[in-house]
Amino acid sequence: MAIYIQSISQISIQEPLCDNWFESPIYHRQRYVSSIEPNYKQYINPMSSRRMGRILKRAVTTSLNVLQGRKGNEIDAIITATGLGCIENTEKFLYSMLENNETLLTPTYFIQSTHNTISSQIALELKCNNYNSTYVHRGISFESALFDAFLQFKLNKITNALVGAHDEMTKDMFTLYDKIGYWKKGDICVETLRKSETLGSFSGEVAVSSFLSNEKNEDSICSLAGMNILHKPTKEKLEETLKRLLEENNLTLSDIDAVLVGHSGDKENDEVYSKTKENLFNDIPFVWYKHLFGESFSMSGLGFYIGATCLKKNIIPKHLVFDSPKEILNPKHILIYNHFQNSEHSFILLSKC
Amino acid sequence: MEDLILELKKEIIEVLNLEEITPEDIDSNAPLFGEGLGLDSIDALELIVLLEKNYGIKLENAAQGKEIFKSVSVMAEYIKNNRKK
Repeated sequence: MAIYIQSISQISIQEPLCDNWFESPIYHRQRYVSSIEPNYKQYINPMSSRRMGRILKRAVTTSLNVLQGRKGNEIDAIITATGLGCIENTEKFLYSMLENNETLLTPTYFIQSTHNTISSQIALELKCNNYNSTYVHRGISFESALFDAFLQFKLNKITNALVGAHDEMTKDMFTLYDKIGYWKKGDICVETLRKSETLGSFSGEVAVSSFLSNEKNEDSICSLAGMNILHKPTKEKLEETLKRLLEENNLTLSDIDAVLVGHSGDKENDEVYSKTKENLFNDIPFVWYKHLFGESFSMSGLGFYIGATCLKKNIIPKHLVFDSPKEILNPKHILIYNHFQNSEHSFILLSKC
Repeated sequence: MEDLILELKKEIIEVLNLEEITPEDIDSNAPLFGEGLGLDSIDALELIVLLEKNYGIKLENAAQGKEIFKSVSVMAEYIKNNRKK
């Protein structure tokens, strides 16, 4: 069964709910950047949104945005990826406990502080009682959520799914992660991220919702042709898995127009991509996106959005091409290759339909 | 009493995060739940905490809330007669 991306939408540190970054990206220089918020009132009733934290508003809005104008059956599955969940509400609840000596705790922050609040809030807004799941696996959260949908499509258990990746970053969490070397010191610039000799990247936020379906129609952006997740693969295992993925789709490596990677400016992280390029991809151009969107646990969800957007627009703009400043015209197949701390690796193959 | 009603309206707007609602928009005698502001059971819990935190009033019996939270005026009257701070 084929799987098609019907629509996909983002709220991030680039202009939200649109593809303006494609033509006019914003280059951030700060280490800690929050998402640009859209006008939520266009999507959520103020009486509903008043209890929602930032991450919930973003998740509900991107979900409603991708489903706008949709006809047909109800949603078969809502699957969400998040690294930190509703961390802002968790902090508010814990601070309230401290300030009030564990008394006088208000319910709202507590009930909206769990990781699965996001998926359930989307379900409440859509009045959807079907499959609802949340994956919290740090840097492999999005791939896990997408793989759940992928398998259910292949087993004919679902005909459509709303798959999202959502993470917010609070000042306190930023400070904690700063202490363990997640972020660069000083201002950020693209060239520093491109060829970095230091650890860390810069902090962004992510909200991506995608609507997947087994039915191809005029709205279909591209197909999710296949995917794999590997735990600590050897060079041979990685090669063998990629070969099988391509063979299953009657492709060879030369058919891949670009490999979209999570190159972030963190020396250790980026060395893994460089090695894999040497071993597997040779001359296939690398495409990156974290220089525009920053780093976050479920940031590969934005990679998914970017790959799909490039196929939709029939071009990979030069500001995304890592190796040489040259645009790639008429891409047909984009391979998203991601790894988290060189432990979990993943391939997601997107093909034009 | 008018000052207390205004203070209470501001506090309700803040703790319930009633976006786009000003104290003038709240009818002091309108029901808080169902009609009127259309609050729900989670809001009731927030109001119970508000009474204790800001006025030192601890509701021993949850059923009391039904009477006390009838309207802002009724709430203000109850606070005036029972406040400990």
